[in-house]
Amino acid sequence: MTATTVADTETRAPRGPVPNALTSAQLPRFVELYTLAGALAVSAAVLAMTGFSIVGWLVLSAVLYLVSLGILSTVVENRRKATDRVVRGLVTIAFLLAVIPLVSTLVTVIIGGAPSLTWDFVTKTGGSVFDPSTLKVTIVQGAWQAVVGTLIITGVATLISVPIGILAAIYLVEYAQPQQWMARTVTFLVDVMTGIPSIVAGLFAFSLFTLLVGPKAFSGFSASVALSVLMIPIVVRSTEEMLKLVSSELREASFALGVTKFATIVRVVLPTAIAGIITGVMLAISRVIGETAPIFIAASFTSNFNANPFSGPMETLAVKAYADYKFPSQDIAASYQSAWGAALLLVLLVVILNLVARIIAKAFAPRGLR
Amino acid sequence: MRPSDRIFRVLSTGSAGLIMVILAGVALFLIIKAGPAIVANWSANPDLAGGTTHGYTSFWSYVGPLVWGTLFSSLIALVLGAPVAIGIALFISHYAPRRLAGVLGYLVDLLAAVPSVVFGLWGIFVIRPFIIPFQDWLNHYLGWIPLFSGQVSQTGSTMLAGGLVLAVMILPIITSISREIFLQTPKLHEEAALALGSTRWEMVKLAVFPYARSGILSATLLGLGRALGETMAIAMIISPALLFSVRILTDTGNSQTIAANAALNFPESNPLQRDALIATGLALFVISFGVNFIARWIISRTGGSRRLRKAGSR
Amino acid sequence: MKFTNAAAVSAVALASVLALAACSGDGARSSGTPNAGTSADAAADYSSLSGTITAGGSSAQANVQQAWTTAFTAQAGNVKINYDKSQGSGGGVTNWLNGSYDFAGTDAALSADQFTKAQTTCGSDGGVNIPVYLSGVSIIFKLDGVKKLNLDAKTIASIFAGTITQWNDPAITALNKGVTLPSTPISVVHRSDGSGTTNNFTTYLHQQAPAVWTWDAGTAWPNNVGSGQQGGSGVVNTVEAGNGTIGYADQSSIGDATAAAIEVGETGTFVEYSEAAATESLAQSGTIAPQGEGDLTVDIDTTKITDATAYPIPLLSYDVLCRSFKDADQGKITAAYLGFVVSKTGQEIGAKNADAAPLPHSYLAKAAETLASVK
Repeated sequence: MTATTVADTETRAPRGPVPNALTSAQLPRFVELYTLAGALAVSAAVLAMTGFSIVGWLVLSAVLYLVSLGILSTVVENRRKATDRVVRGLVTIAFLLAVIPLVSTLVTVIIGGAPSLTWDFVTKTGGSVFDPSTLKVTIVQGAWQAVVGTLIITGVATLISVPIGILAAIYLVEYAQPQQWMARTVTFLVDVMTGIPSIVAGLFAFSLFTLLVGPKAFSGFSASVALSVLMIPIVVRSTEEMLKLVSSELREASFALGVTKFATIVRVVLPTAIAGIITGVMLAISRVIGETAPIFIAASFTSNFNANPFSGPMETLAVKAYADYKFPSQDIAASYQSAWGAALLLVLLVVILNLVARIIAKAFAPRGLR
Repeated sequence: MRPSDRIFRVLSTGSAGLIMVILAGVALFLIIKAGPAIVANWSANPDLAGGTTHGYTSFWSYVGPLVWGTLFSSLIALVLGAPVAIGIALFISHYAPRRLAGVLGYLVDLLAAVPSVVFGLWGIFVIRPFIIPFQDWLNHYLGWIPLFSGQVSQTGSTMLAGGLVLAVMILPIITSISREIFLQTPKLHEEAALALGSTRWEMVKLAVFPYARSGILSATLLGLGRALGETMAIAMIISPALLFSVRILTDTGNSQTIAANAALNFPESNPLQRDALIATGLALFVISFGVNFIARWIISRTGGSRRLRKAGSR
Repeated sequence: MKFTNAAAVSAVALASVLALAACSGDGARSSGTPNAGTSADAAADYSSLSGTITAGGSSAQANVQQAWTTAFTAQAGNVKINYDKSQGSGGGVTNWLNGSYDFAGTDAALSADQFTKAQTTCGSDGGVNIPVYLSGVSIIFKLDGVKKLNLDAKTIASIFAGTITQWNDPAITALNKGVTLPSTPISVVHRSDGSGTTNNFTTYLHQQAPAVWTWDAGTAWPNNVGSGQQGGSGVVNTVEAGNGTIGYADQSSIGDATAAAIEVGETGTFVEYSEAAATESLAQSGTIAPQGEGDLTVDIDTTKITDATAYPIPLLSYDVLCRSFKDADQGKITAAYLGFVVSKTGQEIGAKNADAAPLPHSYLAKAAETLASVK
């Protein structure tokens, strides 16, 4: 069954007479806006009688809008147009729905984190100062050790998993026959591993390194390995999907010109799919950069500065945010402040990474594709 | 074959092999670790008498409610999140003005960048207070439906709150991948559909969806994978209990998930209990596999993009 | 509560007298001067030490360890200490038994089984429990219009067992004469994660109100009553965010939350947490029951707390370490650090920065003695 045959059968057997788009009745251009205004007004009036709430108002308006637009369009135009208009409304509402949590999350993080996001917070190692005369310990907020830890741990994890993941996806799509045992096994394992609890990945990495270097195996590198275990399935899965979408015509055209398979993959297939691949990689990075449980297990916890991935505990921004929330100091407000600060810093970091990734994707993408 | 060809082939095959080794290693590690806890005599073993494993007669009675809770919470997230996510992807790829689409796509990617700890904090400080009146309302008017029954929570730490946050968390994953796939729809197919007089929605139904079906399912599965394995946000938000329950508005009837249970109880557990928690992780593996298996079966039944591509190249 | 302030002073005096009696000949003095404490005190010079201590465990010790490590490394500039508070007591002990930690913080002393296992980790000398941190479990609540609340063990047990469900229940009003309590439903908040605080709290309920509290003591919350929250901070947050809520948390983590005063036994006097009241509490309820040479496992029986100057729900946390380290230098710095922790200065730092109650002097003297023998 292909797209073309579907289209064929649908057009060959039209339901009822086909109206001529040029002569049949059409709703005025801004009917959607009018209907929306009407729906908002009517539902406001209804709710004014039963008790007003913003959420109720928006929900009721949305329902009213869709129903009335559907009816209006069915009556004046036809059912197909009505469906089209209703779907357009639904899709837009879906989008608006998603914007609410997005904006809410970002606003919460920014409001919470902005006050603590000073230059000192970003560039100084956190710690505390002891005053021997009063025996008081004053906590100095700082996130530099966590910024460095995040970059090292996630960076190493990315270096491990992205090449392996992309190459494996290339193997699956370009080289393996679908029925080959190795392809099947890899696909099977990738499927299973998409649901691995992050804590188990941490345990695996820590146990592995305990075998290799002895019981004090806490290190940034072992955390990186744990994160790689989480990243690889995402990278493979999304890259595979993107490579599959590159149309065979492109490959065949390339082969027909006598280009080798290697060059076809590197020069034709990968650039065509690069935007999607990068999206997948960024998703994988975003997924693991905020992990806490495996870091605690594999890299333990510290608030000391450590830039050596091969020895000793390391802190990441996600761990810092979590630890400051879960184990606040005596001054709870200050700890929460620092937690939000670390969270905001983490989001900013990922935003920057995303931007860089998009620029890279643009640079490699073939011209005129998009 | 040229050397570069051969090297590349070996490299990619080697990577696939390496993945096989790593993932098989993890699976093996799990099985070895989980073994002792699964075969242990739960009612007689003193190591399992206290703490989280207190009062269970076998591993199966312990893991049962957790499996249910994991599936249930992910289902809620999927029901709430997936249609919206696909809707947004469609909006960005086929409905929004081109200039706006880029910005919107970026905004959604931003949401994917928010780490789960932050979602946990957001859930605690924003969603929980927000949801309490809504829950009261649902319970008051729709309390006769089992889903909304029970003593409504005063703290907001409910399955509904957790499910909502999970839905928001899986949304960007599903959206980002679906969007990329929608954008890859061959322009010729779309234009052909429009030329036949289709409305925009009919064009989407005829040209975009059939082409993207496998991809959408994959995207949904990746989202589901995140929901199934999500740890910290659930642990931070939901007030859990190990039971089979469909209630989503109560403090005491929220079925606990495997990952959150492991994270919550891991610290205070002795080695055998830790093994038991790892064994529950094994159950999560089985679930992931089951879900993926069913999905692949569906794709093969309905015809995925691979077949479409071959047909298209005819 | 004026009474408790007065009680605090007398408690300190009493504790000092007890301590003097307990460790006469040890040179321990209870005068107020900072440096006249037990053997390993501020007089010690740590500047020659160097190395890294890797440790972790009890999250109840999170704040106090932060204070101690800061103060210690201020004097021992070449020593780095990483205390992983995310591991929890169980995780700390497991990691320590595997050899990953130099010492572990734990809210429960090593069990007999773990004590035996320690001989594989540490060699034949095995490990020791050193009590280092004393605090209390606070019952925190939020009820609009009510700032003070008296509760006894039986009422607390009934609330947390779900049998008392409204704030104006006769059992509560009887304890709070002159306070108007609303009919607000009670929302119980407890820990959803395994926790030493839960263990201490349920131990108290189990010992003091066995008729109402029919569950065993343990690290996991035993019944399905109320809302489970992750971590002490989760409990404090949720209690603070609601109305009619009640929960329990380690005193050091409650922040600005309002805590109830708890009746001592059935004496009719209600005591709020204070450092002195917690010290007194341990002095009355604790007995050192060594499991091996130098070990300082403490048996706590809260029913022995009868004196109106003591806080009824103590929380004692230990650090466990090997008696002889495989690496002597590692042993030296670890013992020096923990020696500092159980010094009078160390305990005062705990009190100043984490609301910790100084351990009774007899405990500190014995701890210092054990640590001095660690090699």
